[in-house]
Amino acid sequence: MKKEKKNQIVMTVIIGAVCVVFFAVMFMQFKTIEETDITAIENMREVDLRTAISEWKGKYEDTQKKLEANQKSVKEYQETIAKNGEASELVDKDLAESNMLLGKTDVVGEGIVITLANTQDYTITYSHLLELINELRYAGAEAISINDARILTTTEIIQVDSRMQAGGQRIASPYVIKAIGNQTYLSSTLSLKDSGFIDRYKASGMDIKLEKGNNIKILKYNGDLKVKYMKEVEK
Amino acid sequence: MIFIAIVMGCILGAVIGIYAPMVPYTYSGYLAIAIIAALDSVFGGIASTLNKQFDLKIFVSGFFGNAILSMLLTYLGQKLNVDIYLAAIVVFVGRMFNNLAIIRRYYLQKWTSHKKKETGEKVG
Repeated sequence: MKKEKKNQIVMTVIIGAVCVVFFAVMFMQFKTIEETDITAIENMREVDLRTAISEWKGKYEDTQKKLEANQKSVKEYQETIAKNGEASELVDKDLAESNMLLGKTDVVGEGIVITLANTQDYTITYSHLLELINELRYAGAEAISINDARILTTTEIIQVDSRMQAGGQRIASPYVIKAIGNQTYLSSTLSLKDSGFIDRYKASGMDIKLEKGNNIKILKYNGDLKVKYMKEVEK
Repeated sequence: MIFIAIVMGCILGAVIGIYAPMVPYTYSGYLAIAIIAALDSVFGGIASTLNKQFDLKIFVSGFFGNAILSMLLTYLGQKLNVDIYLAAIVVFVGRMFNNLAIIRRYYLQKWTSHKKKETGEKVG
């Protein structure tokens, strides 16, 4: 009797344990199936999946190639941009230099200032100024002005009766001639014994003053620069 | 008492199963086959109880043994590229239907004999 009861308890416990295990596994499976998107995966056969994978791989490779090509062209573009930038920089520099040489901009730099003044015994004529300018150019002056009238390559210096005119502007004594260039060259060329402008005319009684300066400012040309008759020769 | 144990076991098992971590999808196939095998053992157990031939040792060993064996066979089938789990399902589900038929017949017989008795009494 006792043994039977014991057997029954053992059986109950074992069957209960079996039920626990069984239901635990079953519900785990339910949960897994519910939370996995099975239809999408199971609707595809393995062959389909394989082809899909190989297709995607092919697409990936194509895209990779395209990306590489695009990167290459981007690099090329960047190089050309850099080159163009360099070229335009050069052109800009050229233009700025040309403008400075032409007299279209105010310029500043080291140079000399010569002041000529009429005295009672000595009158300065246009030829003196022309000679002086010529000599300054010979000494390497890059920009010249007389009484703040910029002297260009086309500027005339004339004398009408007793009045002097430079580039259409009337000028009068004292004549302040500014020149930008190497200070030493300019002053030494003008002061050369016997052949230099200052030396020659000081001897004959002209009132000449020479100053050196590190920060001489020369204003730009006031008029218009126009080309009417000449044309570029076509190559 | 056994019924209480079964109900308690079912509820406890369900709770554990709900709060247990999720099984990766690749292994859920093995779990499914194990569940089918276990279910077959349960129906077998019920049928044998009705026939008064129930043996706890046979039941427990069948419950776990069949589940593990079917999982192993499924694994082997996957290695061999043969769908062995299909054979396992056919066998287990077939046996399940057999057992269900035994259970059904038993209760049907019981019901009809009970009815006969009732009508016989009334006639008598």
